[in-house]
Amino acid sequence: MTQAPRGRWTTAVALLLLAGVYVRALAFTPTEIAQGPAQKIFYLHVPAAWSAMLSMALVGLGGILFLFLKDERYDRFAAASAEVGTVFSLVMLTTGPLWAKPIWGTWWTWDARLTLTLMMFFLFIGYQLLRGAVADPGLRARYSAVVGICGLVLLPFIHLSVYLFRTLHPRPIVLKPSAPSLPPEMLITLLVSFAVFTLLYIGFVVQRYAIGESR
Amino acid sequence: MIETPHNSAFMVAAYIVTAVILVGYAFVLARRARGRSR
Repeated sequence: MTQAPRGRWTTAVALLLLAGVYVRALAFTPTEIAQGPAQKIFYLHVPAAWSAMLSMALVGLGGILFLFLKDERYDRFAAASAEVGTVFSLVMLTTGPLWAKPIWGTWWTWDARLTLTLMMFFLFIGYQLLRGAVADPGLRARYSAVVGICGLVLLPFIHLSVYLFRTLHPRPIVLKPSAPSLPPEMLITLLVSFAVFTLLYIGFVVQRYAIGESR
Repeated sequence: MIETPHNSAFMVAAYIVTAVILVGYAFVLARRARGRSR
């Protein structure tokens, strides 16, 4: 099986599993009493944010490997990861305000976490605009690698922004030094969703990489 | 005692938007792959 069909199958399986996440989150996971049903947005918003950050980390890593090894496969992989990251960022930036409005009373606030994640989204967009604007493949790959590395440097600031600044955004409840602070049913749904979003990322990137290769 | 807020419309909207974006992108990728293979 070549890369493109493998990616299509992975994506199809991941989308079916995503339907399973929907059923589990909506029907078999308890509703949080203080936030109500809106809290269930958590099972999509957090894994989407994870996938967006994973995409950006791998765009940066692909850029570093390209600059050192001069192998254009790393550049193609970074380009694929950036496009997929834009999609996950879009999910994160639409589900976030839909969760914020009923809980915080506002769709958006310019605090550190939200502003830095918006900046990551603009970096994804900028990365793709840059690739479209530079005709020479060698220069395009080099400039793109630099933008990708900037995105990689941004990631720790996004993660630590809730500790470094006063922000409305809650602190991590899973990716933290102590044990996750969630009831087991909610934690299992979240971890399953993390796995499905990661599989979806893999399926999308494999497909997108295959499209880039055939150009 | 805390009364659970009625805000399920936001939850439904988020679940629909997510499905539309992810399934939509899967279709876009499939179409682009078909276009390339022709």
